[in-house]
This record gives sequence, structure tokens and C-alpha cells, in this order.
Amino acid sequence: MEQIQITLPEQINHSLIKDLQKEIAPYKSKKFEGQSVWLDFSNTKQLDSAVAVFLHRLKEDFKKQNIELRWINTSEEVEKSLKLFSPLARAKFEAKRKNFFETIGELGYNLFNQFVESIFLFSNIGFWAIVSFFKPGMRRKGEIANQGVLIGVNALPIVALIAFLIGFILALQSAAQLRQFGANIYVADLIAIAMVSEMGPLITAILVAGRSGSAITAEIATMKVSEEIDALTVMGVDPIPYLIVPKLYALVITLPLLTVFANIIGILGGAIIGVTYLDISIYPFFKEVFSVLRYKEIITGLVKSLSFSIIILLTATYFGFKVKGGAEGVGRVTTASVVASIFFVIVADSILGLIFYFGEPAF
Amino acid sequence: MSESLIQVQNLVSGYDDQIVLNDISFEVIPGEILVILGTSGCGKTTLLKHLIGLIQPFSGQIKLLGQDLINSNEKELLNLMRQVGVLFQNGALLNSITVAENIAIPLEQHTNLNDRLIEDLVHLKLSLVGLSHAANSLPSELSGGMRKRAALARAIALDPKILFADEPGAGLDPVTASSLDRLLLNLRELLGMTLVVVTHELGSIKRIADRILFLHQGKAVFYGKLSDALKSDIEPVQRFFNA
Ligand SMILES: Nc1ncnc2c1ncn2[C@@H]1O[C@H](COP(=O)(O)OP(=O)(O)OP(=O)(O)O)[C@@H](O)[C@H]1O
Ligand SMILES: [Mg+2]
Repeated sequence: MEQIQITLPEQINHSLIKDLQKEIAPYKSKKFEGQSVWLDFSNTKQLDSAVAVFLHRLKEDFKKQNIELRWINTSEEVEKSLKLFSPLARAKFEAKRKNFFETIGELGYNLFNQFVESIFLFSNIGFWAIVSFFKPGMRRKGEIANQGVLIGVNALPIVALIAFLIGFILALQSAAQLRQFGANIYVADLIAIAMVSEMGPLITAILVAGRSGSAITAEIATMKVSEEIDALTVMGVDPIPYLIVPKLYALVITLPLLTVFANIIGILGGAIIGVTYLDISIYPFFKEVFSVLRYKEIITGLVKSLSFSIIILLTATYFGFKVKGGAEGVGRVTTASVVASIFFVIVADSILGLIFYFGEPAF
Repeated sequence: MSESLIQVQNLVSGYDDQIVLNDISFEVIPGEILVILGTSGCGKTTLLKHLIGLIQPFSGQIKLLGQDLINSNEKELLNLMRQVGVLFQNGALLNSITVAENIAIPLEQHTNLNDRLIEDLVHLKLSLVGLSHAANSLPSELSGGMRKRAALARAIALDPKILFADEPGAGLDPVTASSLDRLLLNLRELLGMTLVVVTHELGSIKRIADRILFLHQGKAVFYGKLSDALKSDIEPVQRFFNA
């Protein structure tokens, strides 16, 4: 039996592994089967953990090829390093993979769980929204006003800007068409109906979902991951009436008000086009606006914005409580919450739109 | 190799106008374990942050591995940092990735080892700190003491020349703490690692410390051998060891 001997350098660290590999790998071939390769450590004083692991794995690989890799002349230190830094059996940590049916099953199970969870949460919020109306002591002091300012007052500038631009552009786009028929005055009808029953509630809700829905989710999620919610519970304070219900009240009050504000600004934006581009004077424009707006449009807008406010709050709260992990979890649920609440707002808008369009109102 | 690895001279530092460290001088020689002691809030973490160049002092000199930290630019600092491992007081694991991925970061960034070997090393380091079973957990799913140990595994991933550890034993039971101490001693013996450790555990101090740096009200009131510290008649030091 022949043997090959390789002498190792004095200090071996991870940067030398590539070279070692090149030097030793050629012996791991059929040609050397049944022989033995000796690694001589007589010069070696120190080796780091990466090298130790590498050597252990090398030995295993050689063994599979029926070649013996032997470490010789190891000092006590080197011996100890090789012992301390010996890697675990691979089977111990290689992850078990899920099969297709497990994945599907898990997905369905999670969906069902989320559904049940959300039903529980929503009924909880609904219950406390009514009960704590008569027990103001259960709510955080000054929270409704505080949230009203955050959600409503602070949003006025951006809502005004967007509503104005929407009204303005809507009027501009339709002006060219209406002109062809000499139907200039109908731009007032178009703007009034479009703003009040559709655009006003929708864009306000989308803005508020982005601004305040995200803030609510982030606040609840942060409180949850830093165990503040648990702390409240342990102090005997139910977080739903204490934290969530005031936000619900604030949203239900402010979103319709913001919507009315958006409607007015939007119609003003349309009026500017009417006056400057379509030669309608101010008075007939607004006379037309008021004559075309009936209860139906106003009720549509109001019902929509009330529903949107509840949708935004429930979505934001659901995602806030759903947070997992630490700070990065907060970011994840916040994004998910905004996307979901805009989606639900638009779905609800379509459904309500259809109901009000086909449902003949009693008034 | 008798050159000292860390040299601190007349370090004065603090936050805004509050002075936390006032005229601190000491050095760390290769292969020793220096333990920094002091009451909570006295500036131990602040001192560690100076030693790894994270914050700049008001005045004084700091040399790490022969390089002047105060006048180094960012690139030089980053290069220097490859040779040191740091265990932060709160662990500082990246929360969005698993424990194993956290430990793989320095290995992937600073070595040219192949993926299999990196995977082996990650699991080896985890088993050294007794966390083999937690490799695929997220940091938020670990207990406080486990997070600390995972962070230690990351700090020693590259077998650093110097390991800075801010309270490695905090929140650990005595058995785990003493096995961690044994690991630190082993690393020193086998890799010639030098350690700068902040700890309050008396048992731990007696097991690992070669020298003690005792901070009190911004001053280094004691700096010397452990055996001398135990016999010291300086008031805060005496009070600490007899508490
Ligand atoms: N980022 C900061 N900004 C302002 N002051 C700080 C900051 N970090 C620490 N300090 C102050 O510096 C002092 C020392 O803090 P440091 O964290 O270094 O204490 P420590 O000795 O590590 O305490 P502990 O044992 O509790 O960890 C404290 O008074 C603290 O208030
Ligand atoms: Mg500290």
C-alpha cells in the first residue's frame, strides 16, 4: 500500500482553503482507491474553525471514495481545534421539505383561520363600539379629538389639492365633448354628480386609507410587538374599547366631513373650467349644481363614506393585530393593510354603486 | 507580537455636553481577556463603541490593531472591522432573516468559501453556543438569552482576532453561562483570540478575567490583574466584589 504525504503550512485560515482544495483534490480519484493520503501537521501551530470543518468534510469525502485521509503529527492544540470545531452530521440540520398537499392544506387552514379571527375581531369591535358609547370612561381620554385632528384636520390640505385637481381635470376632459353639442351647461351636472356620488367619497377614502389606515396599523402593530397591548390587558384594560373604538368614532365622524369638503372643492375646480373655458357664469353654474343634486346622490355619497370609514378601520385594526416578529413585521403588515383597505374600498364602492343605481330609492 | 492590540490614551467622551468617560487610559495585549466593570449606566457600552470606531471621542487617542481609529476614514475602518467580532448588548440580530442567515452574513461577505462549507460553519458556530435547534427560527421567536447566544455565534463566525462582548452572560442560567465562559476560554486558547468583555457576573469574572478595568463616575478607578482587584481596597471596587 502506497501513501501520499502533504505537509501543511504553519498557520492555516479560511483564505488558504481554496489552495488546499486544489492541492488535495487530485488525489480524490479512482486511481488512488485503497491508498492513503497523509496530511502532515508537524509545522502547523494553529488552524481556524473554517479549516477544521473543511478538513472533516474532506475526510468524509475521501472515505466515500475508499481512500483514507489521515492526519499525522498533530499537536495537542491542533487536535483540540479539530475536536472543538467538528461539524454536525448533515442530516441533523438539512431541512425537511413540504410536499404539495401539505402546502395546499396549510394554505387552506390558514385562510380559514384568518377568516374566523377577523370575524371575532370585527364582532368584538362592533360590540364595544356600542357598549363604550355609554361608558366613555373605557376609552382613552381625549383620543377621539386627537385622532380627529390626525385623521381629519391634518388631511385637509392634501384632500383639497387632490379634489381640486380631480374636479378640474374631469371638467376639462368633458368640456370638449359637451361643447360639440352646445351642452356647455351640463358640465355642472356632470361634475356635481360625479364628485358627490363617486369621486368625492372614493378619493377621500383612498387618501385616508393611505394616510391614517397605515398609521393605525403601524401604531397597533408597534404596540403589539413591544408587548404594550399585553401590558394593557394585564392591567385589566381591554385594548379594543380603549384604543380602537375612539379611532372608529373619529373615522366615522371625520371621513364623511372630509368627503363633503372634497366635494365642495372638486365642484369649485370644475366651476373654474366652466367659467373660464365654457363661458358659463358663476350663478347659473351653481344653480345647475344645486338643481341636479338630489337626495339620492347625497345619500349615496354619505352611505359610501360611512362604509369606507368602517372598512378602513377594520382592515387597519385586523392587520395591526396580525403582526408577527419585530420591527420588520410592522413594516410588512402596514404595507399589506394599505393595499387591502384600498382594495376593499374600491370593491365596496362598486357594490354600493350598483345597489344605488338599480335600487329605486323610496325618496 | 508583544505589541498591544488596543491602546487607549486619555480618552474623554460623552453625549452632547454630558461627559461619560473622563481621561481613560489602558491597553490590551494579545491573547488576554480584559473585563470591563462598573455600575449600570457608567459608560461601559460607550467605551466599547469607541474601541470599534462607532462613535468619536471628545479627545484622546485610540489605536486598534495598530491603527489610529480617530483619523481613519470609513473604508479603513470597515477593513479593520473584518478582524474583530462584536457582540452588542441587545444582540442586534437582523430581525427579518433567520438565525442561520444572520450568522452566514460575515461568512458570505468576507470569505470565498463555498455554500456547503458556509452552511457547515454556521451550524458549527450555532452548536458551539448550544443553539443547533434554533437555526431556522427568526430572532423574534427566540428568548432573550438565546438571542444573545445567536449574536455571539455571529460575532465569532469569522474567528476574529479580537472579540468585543457586551454582557455575553446576561439573562443566562448559571450552567449555560459557565459553558459559554468555557467556549470563550477555548477560543482564546485555540485561536489566540483576544477578548474585551463587559460583564457583571461575579462567577464569570473569576473564571475568565485576566485583567480588570473598573469604571466609576467616568474614571478608571482600577486597572490591573484580577487577583489584585479581589484584594483591592479602592472603595467602589471593594464594594463590587463583596456585594
Ligand atoms: N445615544 C445616547 N445619547 C445620549 N446619552 C447616552 C446615549 N447612550 C448612552 N448615553 C448615556 O451615557 C451613559 C453611559 O451609558 P452606557 O450605555 O455606556 O452605560 P453602561 O455602562 O453600558 O450601562 P449598562 O450596564 O446598563 O449597560 C448613560 O448615562 C447614558 O444615559
Ligand atoms: Mg451597556
